[in-house]
Amino acid sequence: MKRAIAGVLLVSMLLVSGCWDRTEINDLAFVSGAAFDLTKDGEYLLSLQIAIPSSSQGGVGSSDGEKEKFFVLSAVGNNANEAFEKLQKKSSRRLFPAHRSVIFIGEALARHGINDILDVFTHDPRQRLRTYIMVVKGGEGLDILEAKYPFEQVPIEAIKEMEALSSELAVTLGEFFMAASSPGISPVMGVIMSEGDSGGVKSGDKQLVKLAGLAFFKEMKVVGFLDSEETNGFLWLTDRMKYGRINAIISEGDVKGNVGMTLNSAHRKITTEVNGGAPKVRIQLQGVGSLVENNTRLDISRPNNLKLVQHALEQSVERQVRDVVAKLQKQYKVDSVGFGMDMYQNHYKQWKTLQPKWEQTFPEVKVAVDVQLALTGVGMAGPPLQLKEEEIVK
Amino acid sequence: MRRLRKWLRSKPNARLEQEVAFPEESFELAYDLEQNERKLRQLFPNCSDLVFRNVRLNAKTECLVVYLTTLVDEQVIEEHILKPLLASSESLKPYPEDRISVGKIERTKQGQELVRQLLHGYTAILTSMNEQAWLVRTNGGKQRSLEEPSSEPVIRGPRDGFIENISTNMGLLRSRLKTSTLRMEALTVGRLTQTQVVISYLEGIAKQAVVDEVRERIARIRIDGIIDSSYIEEFIEDCPYSPFPQVHSTERPDVVAAELLEGRVAILVENTPFVLVVPMTLMTGVQASEDYYIRWPIATFVRWIRFLFISIAIFAPPLYVAITTFHQEMIPTNLVISIASSREAVPFPALIEAMLMEIIFEALREAGIRLPKQIGQAVSIVGALVIGQAAVLAGIISAPVVIIVSITGIAAFTIPRYSFANGIRLLRFPMLFLAGTLGLYGIVLGFIAILLHVTSLRSFGVPYFTPISFGSIKDIFIRAPIWAKTLRPQIAGSEPSYREPEGQQPSPRRGKRP
Repeated sequence: MKRAIAGVLLVSMLLVSGCWDRTEINDLAFVSGAAFDLTKDGEYLLSLQIAIPSSSQGGVGSSDGEKEKFFVLSAVGNNANEAFEKLQKKSSRRLFPAHRSVIFIGEALARHGINDILDVFTHDPRQRLRTYIMVVKGGEGLDILEAKYPFEQVPIEAIKEMEALSSELAVTLGEFFMAASSPGISPVMGVIMSEGDSGGVKSGDKQLVKLAGLAFFKEMKVVGFLDSEETNGFLWLTDRMKYGRINAIISEGDVKGNVGMTLNSAHRKITTEVNGGAPKVRIQLQGVGSLVENNTRLDISRPNNLKLVQHALEQSVERQVRDVVAKLQKQYKVDSVGFGMDMYQNHYKQWKTLQPKWEQTFPEVKVAVDVQLALTGVGMAGPPLQLKEEEIVK
Repeated sequence: MRRLRKWLRSKPNARLEQEVAFPEESFELAYDLEQNERKLRQLFPNCSDLVFRNVRLNAKTECLVVYLTTLVDEQVIEEHILKPLLASSESLKPYPEDRISVGKIERTKQGQELVRQLLHGYTAILTSMNEQAWLVRTNGGKQRSLEEPSSEPVIRGPRDGFIENISTNMGLLRSRLKTSTLRMEALTVGRLTQTQVVISYLEGIAKQAVVDEVRERIARIRIDGIIDSSYIEEFIEDCPYSPFPQVHSTERPDVVAAELLEGRVAILVENTPFVLVVPMTLMTGVQASEDYYIRWPIATFVRWIRFLFISIAIFAPPLYVAITTFHQEMIPTNLVISIASSREAVPFPALIEAMLMEIIFEALREAGIRLPKQIGQAVSIVGALVIGQAAVLAGIISAPVVIIVSITGIAAFTIPRYSFANGIRLLRFPMLFLAGTLGLYGIVLGFIAILLHVTSLRSFGVPYFTPISFGSIKDIFIRAPIWAKTLRPQIAGSEPSYREPEGQQPSPRRGKRP
């Protein structure tokens, strides 16, 4: 008898310690995206896009038109938690945020400051730090959530996929928190825009969205934006450039036209130097790729011609990077690249003295940019094939 | 559980004991022939197949030939017993054994022994004025021809299988192991069936302690009848409560011969084609005989497929249930949405759904085995339609569960040893229940429990997990080429022994003179 009781107690130790969180999959509402906006009264508007598991069971000849793939719930609250609670009351199924892939922040809120809404993501274990977080430029987060993207089962997945392609800057919650809490660097966020407003493609009620550069944060407030073009430079600067394309215009004597290359790999090296006075930053960029476009009359199978092209491309990259650096230093005065962080890591003592007045020092930092591109392939043809023999510059 | 055990171990009361015991009358043969005949007729009343044949040898000696016509080869009796006896009527020789041209003749004075041998197909010859009887081996009777075992078919490899006749089975082994060290110890088990049981092993290779243990355990069995070798199996296994078989049973003589060469002990039982081999280890359950007959890289690949599918057979349904009801965050978003959409119309919890399907599947399997072959096909068609289509269309079962259950079903069929597969199939249900109530935590608990059980299990003193060690790795995770397996698999504690010299890898350079 004693042994039986002991056995029961032992087993119950396994069974009662812990929470019973059994939920059937069809009692869950899968939140695929969330958006935060600022209302006119200064309260927060939390919107959730919830995927509707389309009951396409069997599916034999039941193609009854377009079914809604999602719906959006919104609620207003003084903080995120309050809004979330209100949303739960509107939903017949338990809201399940673990599958949320993107969080949008309306521009108004982003400019107002996002301090109050971020903390909720760090406490709930069901919130993922790998969620992408983006600012909606010139619009509200809610609009993006309601956009009907035709490709994916859940529209927001499309944005996640876009981000994963890393053609533009993609920042996850975790990266954002890391940048925000590290010394000598200010966080950035990806930017998304609704394409429909700018007179772009509009097919039926499908509304397209596009990634549009990045937003600088300073003290958790947006201070400025970079467009897509400039973002390329930023990607180079932050060593996020992976598979980008580079275009350059060549005008050497009578040879005019543009060339383009794709990168297979890119690498950045940053060295800082602090010897009293203004710190110096040296940025070395290296890229390996192949030429994909040649609209000039140059026969690029000739080494000297190739060198010319290479040089033009290098200059193009350098210009891009310099533009971004200038914008950061002069216009926004925000160290989003992390020059300060590099000093913190490599010149700690000097950084200690620099840190208090870093905001004033940063615009004075001397930046040297050095680009080295290697063209490992020129494709299948030297000169453009449509040219006549005498037109080709050898 | 304890009550169950108590009930299983409960002793019958004394009165029952009396009824179970059939006291065999032991009697001495009499000097008088007529008295002996009377006694025998009295012992076998109403036996239409018992034949008494009187032969007069000479003036004073009369001879009585007794046999059961259903058990003997009557041609042998006519040719080699009756004919010589009749022919030499004037001979002076009083002893029939000098005339009978049959190999095995025994003498006995025990009436009880005579009766026993009669029932084994011997012919008894009694003479007047003699308290001694001759027993001549004449057994024949019906036996089926050797066929390919239907429970363990192979594409490449020997095609003969054991049959119900034990001497044929012994012959199949003898013809494979032509050595005087092949031992065949005979025992008799079963008070009424008098079933012959033969313990076979290779002297010097099999561990003596295991042989002794087998002999002792079989000798301990007290029962009225042995119908199949599974009766013996249940009496001699180490842990009767385990779902895993601890005795390997096979219909294939090549398997038994190979296992004898590994130092195991075979138990042949009369009237069944299934031969038992001990000690069994876990890995016996995943080694098919054909592994050794096909090329080794393919055999290795197949073995890995088997490992994979064994784990699928145990874990696939529980994992599905656990992840969809507890850990939805683990599933990729697109997958979770398509699972959710297929479950949208389903009224049952995932656990009930999976249980339902598993039970239906098991029922179908059972029906398919028991039914006559012609109807079996119909069952599988109906089953496939009902489960695969109708249930999903009606929204009672979701499609992923159907997929999972059918994968699991196939997975269980990849296990080459039937009894082992049964154990695995049974384990799925507790695992499913644990997964449905405790999630992944439950699966981990269940897995640990299975692991604890398997590692503590023993078969005739040999740990069940035995060959999973570096030494015998050549036959577990890979099936090494035959020329590379120089050592015998070590069965607990036995000394390493060579089965072949090293360095036999074939290559173009071999055999050339330097």
